[in-house]
Amino acid sequence: MIPLSHFMIISAALFCIGLFAVLTKRNAIQILIGIEFMINAAILNFVAAGRFDRVAGGGQMFALFAIVLAAAGVAVALAIILNVYKHFRTINPDKIDTLKN
Amino acid sequence: MDFLTFSANTLCLLSLIALVFPFSSFLVILQLKKSQGATISIFNISVSLIASLLVFINVWNSTTLQQQVEWFQVGTVSISAGILLNNLSVLMMVLVSAISLLVHIYSISYMKGDENIYKYWAYLGLFCFSMMGLVISDSLLLIYMFWELVGMSSYLLIGFWFTKDAASQAAKKAFIMNRIGDLGFLTGLMIIYSQFGTFDIGRLFNVGGLVDSASIINGFWISESASVPVIWLTIAGLAFFIGAMTKSAQFPLHTWLPDAMQGPTSVSSLIHAATMVAAGVFLLGRVYPLFDSIALNTITVVGVFTAFMAATIALTQNDIKRILAYSTISQLGFMIAAMGIGAYGESIFHLATHAFFKCLLFLAAGSVIHQLHHYKEHHSLEFNHQDIRLMGGLRKQMPIAFITMCIAAAALAGLPFTSGFLSKDAILITSFEWAEGYHGFKKLVPFVLVLTSWLTVFYIGRLIFKVFFGKSNYKGVKDAPWPMTRILLILAFFSLFPLFSVNPLSYDNSWLLQGFVPAGVKPFDIFHLLVPIIVTGISAIIVLISYKLYGGTATKQLPENGLLYRFSNRAWYLDRVYDLLFVRSITALSIISHKFDTLIVDGLVNSLAGLARIISDIIHWFDRHVVDGLVNGIASLASKTGDFARQFQTGKLQHYLITMLTLVVTFFIITYLI
Amino acid sequence: MSAEQLAFYFFASLTLISALLVVCMQNLVRSIFLFFVTIFSLAAMFVFALADFIAVTEVVVYVGGVLVLMLFAFMLSNKELLSGLQNIAGGFKFTHLAGLLICGGMLFLLVSAISAADVVNLSWIKNGQAISENDNTIHQIGIHTMTRYLLPFEVVSVFLMMALIGAAHLSRRERRS
Repeated sequence: MIPLSHFMIISAALFCIGLFAVLTKRNAIQILIGIEFMINAAILNFVAAGRFDRVAGGGQMFALFAIVLAAAGVAVALAIILNVYKHFRTINPDKIDTLKN
Repeated sequence: MDFLTFSANTLCLLSLIALVFPFSSFLVILQLKKSQGATISIFNISVSLIASLLVFINVWNSTTLQQQVEWFQVGTVSISAGILLNNLSVLMMVLVSAISLLVHIYSISYMKGDENIYKYWAYLGLFCFSMMGLVISDSLLLIYMFWELVGMSSYLLIGFWFTKDAASQAAKKAFIMNRIGDLGFLTGLMIIYSQFGTFDIGRLFNVGGLVDSASIINGFWISESASVPVIWLTIAGLAFFIGAMTKSAQFPLHTWLPDAMQGPTSVSSLIHAATMVAAGVFLLGRVYPLFDSIALNTITVVGVFTAFMAATIALTQNDIKRILAYSTISQLGFMIAAMGIGAYGESIFHLATHAFFKCLLFLAAGSVIHQLHHYKEHHSLEFNHQDIRLMGGLRKQMPIAFITMCIAAAALAGLPFTSGFLSKDAILITSFEWAEGYHGFKKLVPFVLVLTSWLTVFYIGRLIFKVFFGKSNYKGVKDAPWPMTRILLILAFFSLFPLFSVNPLSYDNSWLLQGFVPAGVKPFDIFHLLVPIIVTGISAIIVLISYKLYGGTATKQLPENGLLYRFSNRAWYLDRVYDLLFVRSITALSIISHKFDTLIVDGLVNSLAGLARIISDIIHWFDRHVVDGLVNGIASLASKTGDFARQFQTGKLQHYLITMLTLVVTFFIITYLI
Repeated sequence: MSAEQLAFYFFASLTLISALLVVCMQNLVRSIFLFFVTIFSLAAMFVFALADFIAVTEVVVYVGGVLVLMLFAFMLSNKELLSGLQNIAGGFKFTHLAGLLICGGMLFLLVSAISAADVVNLSWIKNGQAISENDNTIHQIGIHTMTRYLLPFEVVSVFLMMALIGAAHLSRRERRS
């Protein structure tokens, strides 16, 4: 039986990798992948802790909900990316700096 | 009559037929959009009436039927839907379908020539469907749904002439006022559900049912599954009463009903006299076992006050339909008060008799209005054809309308040999008997009711004498066509005593009342003798007085500017008070908050934005002069620093994210290390 | 080291390495496919937490839905970028340094928080009833969905519908007027 803390450390590492992608990547799709990593790190924590909650099954249930929500998020985010591409002709967030003006 | 006896399943099927047929006429007519809607809807409502009558014959005083199916299931909770047939619901079924049929037939000629006539028939069908559903449902949840449908269809019908501004305003008012009641109903539903876990009326309110067996111990209301402070019992009762108050137009939520007279008169007759307003009383009847003494006292007080108030308002109104509307409110007050003093059967009895004679009053008034309207169009005159001050002498020109209206007025006034006499006496005598056991304000209840019934005599006498006596202004006005007058004659027959009791002077033998009050005859006390004699005697005197005042050819002008007159004529200024209290105050509040928004919030935001602009200007200046100067001045290492500082204002999302996270992470690392 | 542990650490390292590669890879198509590998190994780790149903769902949703969507988006958006993006000069950027520092700090924070929390000795984990290998978790999940978590379930379904409508609305073709 794998101790809970190992799961949590791995999930922490995955989270940081995702964070890195969000902070540095030059392509909106890769940023999205980074976000997915972060969500999956959270799901991993849910599942790992849910192992000790046999009665309510809270961890697994909420992991399920989180997967569903992440998928919905991806759908919307990709739709936004496509629109951004239509509008700016690029999906490099570096080039999209209308916030500056 | 063996061939008319059916099994339980057949009865349920019959009541479903009575329910579904009006609805099918609604659907079919809306599909066809043709003017032959009349035939369809009259056929359907006749089927409904026949089915109701068959059900009535079988169920009345013999059985209580309840059949249900599972409606839906959520988790472990299962909600059922079904039909509950007992004395109350079969009586209401017959009442609703019979009056609907009569109004349908009357409408053929009354509404002739209206361009959207097919909508009228469709809406009537919808209304009958929802009313039928309301009375036969066995679940409070279903009743609630049909209750909403009733409100909705009455909205459609009041606003039927939606091009008239007043009509659409009135429809809106009725709809919004009814929302308040729906809120009360909903609250009651939720309390009931959380306490008993079911909506089933049979299980809740039968003798020995859940409500019966719930006990009150140490200030807690304890049912099988839950226990809450006893205040919730009172709140539940009052919540249901608020629901009933709006539908049955009780003070202070009655103001929609007089305005609802903007609809066609036949609609006023059907909805606002006979059926829809009875829904409130019906609801009280359904949940009757729930009320505790506080709720009952509230009901009594509200009912008595409404009866009295509406009667005083009716004294001075000049629009023929408004007088009838206020008299409806007043009579509903009687029924509600009767509910409050525990005279459940008497209240339902009055509901039934009132349905017929008030329907007749409206339809007869409708025929007068109809004829005057035609006269007006024919001679291209301009006058208000609903104002009783402009009428007079129609007795000879419209004999049928006159006779039938007199019968209905006598019933409303409670004169002997009419149905109204029986039911009003029943309520008055019961209220005297009830007041015997109490002190204080409760002693007043029967006297106020008696006073109200005298006021009733006066205002209805005023209406009759002003409209039908005196000098006629309009030459050549005739009685309405036969299709309309025959309905008046039928209803006039129903407004007399034979339908309800063999003995015209005593209500004790009425079969209808005996269906609700257990057979054990109450002791015959002094009130049974005194009340009818005194009330009727003084009523007769009042009829004479009002004839003297209004019946002569030269009508005496009463002072029309006294304080009391204005108070009554403006309906106790209640609309004005509501306007001031709710509409104005909310408008004022929104104006204030708008001001607050524009001045303070926007000002704050704008000044913040200005501040930020100034700061960023400073930073910008700093960038330009200090950093750039530094960059220009010092070597490439310094230039890197400048790049670093500038990157915080790149407008790029990731850079902002980096900045933010740097701060957060640094903060936590520092707190962790310290 | 038991076989279970061996397998677990194998998948854990596979997850982390492939995730790192996904992040560092310059070629977008390759990184999307590596994402696939990460998801699979993550699902394998779910199995070690005795959440087999979640693992299957993860694979189905991500491989079946998310990945396909991403590839589509990539193909739709990258007509001329396709050539440009794939060989962005890999030079070291300032943002990379900053990102690295922030992520390192974050990792340090999280790991020290985990060790400080001493999760293994929390009372509800120590005394709570743990799922055993013989339990039928799918059965349990089915029951929970329809009873205890019915409301979240409904909320999620409404949310999902909103997201779908939003996505459809956003990505619809603009009508030329």
